[in-house]
Amino acid sequence: MIQSILLWLAAILAAPFFSGLILKIKAFFGGKKGPPILINYYTLIKLFKKGSVYSNSTTLIFKLGPIISLAASLTVLMFLPIAGHNPVFSFNGDVIFVLYILGLGRFFTIAAAMDTASPFEGMGAAREAYFPIICEAAMFMILIFFYRITGELQLSAYFAGSNTQSMWSSAGAPLLFIVISFFIILLTENSRVPVDDPATHLELTMIHEVMVLDHSGPDFALIELGSFCKLIFYSSIISRMILPFESAIFGFPIVMYISGLLIVYVAVGVTESVTARYKMDKVPQFVLTSFALAFFATIITLEFVK
Amino acid sequence: MFLSGGCLLGLLDAAGKLLNPSEASASFRYLDLFFLSFHVDGLSAFFLTAIFAVSLMAAIYSFHYMENEKDGIKTGVNYFFFSILIASMALVVTASNILAFMISWEFMSLSSFFLIIYSHKSAENRKSGYLYFVFSHVGAMFILAAFGLIYGYTGNFDLATMAEMPETVKILIFVLSFIGFGIKAGVFPFHVWLPHAHPAAPSHISAVMSGVMIKTGIYGILRIYAILDFHTPVFGYITLIAGVISGILGVVYALGQHDIKRLLAYHSVENIGIILIGLGIGMIGAATNNPLVAVLGFTGGILHVLNHSMFKSLLFMGAGMVLHQTGTRSIDALGGLLKGMKVTGATFIIGSLAICGLPPFNGFVSEFFIYMGSFKAIPVGSISFAMSVFAIISLAVIGGLALACFTKVVGVVFQGEPRTKAAEDVQEKGLAMMIPMGILAAACVIIGVFPKVFINMALTAVQSLGLDYGGVPVEPFGQITGNITFAALLFFVVVLIVMGIRSIYYKNKTTTKSGTWGCGFTQPTAKMQYTGSSYAGSILEFFSAAAPLSEEHPPIKGRFPLKTHYHSHVNDIAELHMKNVVVRPVFYLFDKLRWMQHGDIHLYIGYILLAIVLLLFFI
Repeated sequence: MIQSILLWLAAILAAPFFSGLILKIKAFFGGKKGPPILINYYTLIKLFKKGSVYSNSTTLIFKLGPIISLAASLTVLMFLPIAGHNPVFSFNGDVIFVLYILGLGRFFTIAAAMDTASPFEGMGAAREAYFPIICEAAMFMILIFFYRITGELQLSAYFAGSNTQSMWSSAGAPLLFIVISFFIILLTENSRVPVDDPATHLELTMIHEVMVLDHSGPDFALIELGSFCKLIFYSSIISRMILPFESAIFGFPIVMYISGLLIVYVAVGVTESVTARYKMDKVPQFVLTSFALAFFATIITLEFVK
Repeated sequence: MFLSGGCLLGLLDAAGKLLNPSEASASFRYLDLFFLSFHVDGLSAFFLTAIFAVSLMAAIYSFHYMENEKDGIKTGVNYFFFSILIASMALVVTASNILAFMISWEFMSLSSFFLIIYSHKSAENRKSGYLYFVFSHVGAMFILAAFGLIYGYTGNFDLATMAEMPETVKILIFVLSFIGFGIKAGVFPFHVWLPHAHPAAPSHISAVMSGVMIKTGIYGILRIYAILDFHTPVFGYITLIAGVISGILGVVYALGQHDIKRLLAYHSVENIGIILIGLGIGMIGAATNNPLVAVLGFTGGILHVLNHSMFKSLLFMGAGMVLHQTGTRSIDALGGLLKGMKVTGATFIIGSLAICGLPPFNGFVSEFFIYMGSFKAIPVGSISFAMSVFAIISLAVIGGLALACFTKVVGVVFQGEPRTKAAEDVQEKGLAMMIPMGILAAACVIIGVFPKVFINMALTAVQSLGLDYGGVPVEPFGQITGNITFAALLFFVVVLIVMGIRSIYYKNKTTTKSGTWGCGFTQPTAKMQYTGSSYAGSILEFFSAAAPLSEEHPPIKGRFPLKTHYHSHVNDIAELHMKNVVVRPVFYLFDKLRWMQHGDIHLYIGYILLAIVLLLFFI
């Protein structure tokens, strides 16, 4: 339990670092030096020191938005087995709770954006409401896949201990599909290229960034921290799926976990460097690809796993 | 005088109702008058609880909602039919023979018809009332046909025993009554009356109708299922597929609405869909001898009946407050209401979260049960695998769409800046309107965080379905509810911690107020805000096959263009096709038979004689 809580804290603290890594990768591809690797910590500290400016149009919801979205990210991390350790909390059906808590966070992010009466933020909000619908379908398809193989409905049954390895041995090939499908979901849910572009400051090209235009100071810091945590949540799952190895050697799972994370973040960075953002009307097709992959994987398990 | 008399009647009514639920939850009560017999079991008691709770709230709410009405007689008439509606709903769910059921059912349909045409001066409302009248009677015909079959085979009027009957007849009865009750419940494609009737009725009536009256349809389906005592997966497939289609299309159409009460009406179609998905899973579980799946599915579905009655009546009351204070139902004409309407706004947001099925609110609990049931049905067999996948994915999509829809309503109506004059400086008033909203919102949170008692109530209702599981083991369900409570509390703790951290960082900080960042544009107006139509636009485009959008937008011409306008309307394919496929041919046919109606009374008597003579051959 103590160990799990420590890992949980470590994941939260490390999340900004890994997100900084993406910036480094992009700078490398652009032939630039890029910001320092700890840039996100500096930004957070800077934001926490500042005061805030609130729009006249806003209400209490605007202040609740960052709180709920960060709380949602922190809560879901508690249910995630980090580096194969048992999670802080776990119960039968916790995956559904986790997905819906993320939905709650989204509701408040959108509501906070709509609070400002800004047309740009409304536009971002509409997109933020749209794409996750397909994402959620894909997520539940993946869940059905996991349920087919393990017969359980909790994250620890998929990613703790040797469970991931036994999933590979019982349905290795379709699991590859799932990894790719999940990577697409990661890109969409965390507003990365090619769905969204976190770097531009041209409001019309963005989804998530434009929704938080009016947040400032500590509020904005909470949002940033929340999105770092959300990204590490998704990345941890992929990290565990691609490097599920277990060993008795001390620290081995942690090393595996971190190398997995590095691979995921580098992959995100490379994707962002080599592709451009899709036109908005192409995004649903991209996300549907992830659904289709998960669907095929599940169909395949019908034959493989009896 | 009429007004106060009417209100008193309503309040007396409400007081009487308060006493009843406790009485109803005690099981058996007989009342034999003529052929009418009534009987309360777990299932009836569960529906009674929902009916009385919502009706009580609506009665209190109506006190202030109706106070400004000039026409005393109208108010009196409204309360008269309101009382009849409540009484007849209670009788419908307790009726234990065919006659009692049909009489109460007709009372319910007629009283609600008169309530819908409350504002009878508007032609549109009269049309909505007429539509409802036609639909509810076509539905009643189907139910009557099903009951006729039952009587034909059993020879008595009891709604209890019909185990011995050919299986094909059972299926026929189920299908007939499913259509009949489906019309009342608003199952796609029989939901056409619903989005017309709800906006026409006064808001407390919409709350009752959408919250509980349409649930009597669900009750009917369940009751017929229970007395048929025939567990075939076909029933499950029918129910589940109907549920999936109603669920997804209901929310898609809701997303396209501009009228807040119409939007909520379409959400009723969606939630009936969710309930049917739960029941379908339950029926599949019962047919495949899988008690856990069956109980999870039925419990989820039945609990969702209660949950939906809570948050939907809350939402209708909130919409009623908005309508009452601003005088418009058009979403795109509103904005920024949260600043003046704190209670309405806050409770409306709670209701929205609940209807989206988000934790820690009550919608999540029932959806969680349905999810669990669906997942547990995956390994059962290949068809039930397909059905489960169907159910799970559609639940996920419904959840996402509902979230989009309610962020639209909350965002456009309650947040931002007022879009028209009507929405400026709106205050809420009427304590009797706010108290029920507060209570219902509290109920949504309580069921969401501590679902144990309510799950047990739903389990009692499931037991009276006669699935022959003896006592359903309560143990695993206690565990599930415990987990939900734990997770909800955990989330609250995390939120409090984050709030604490935030307040530490805001200590001694200067926060300033200024306009919204306009990205460099210095002359923003409220007209520039994103509207509800544009918010929903891209999602609707994705579903354009099922929800075709018709737009009217004269192009801008010349150097000094005149005013132009944009009008969009989402076509309901059920409405569209029902007109083309059902109504037109029927009209055509009856037009051809006009010659029979000639006004000669002697020949009419001849028709009657001829009919009797013909019938004699069949007896």
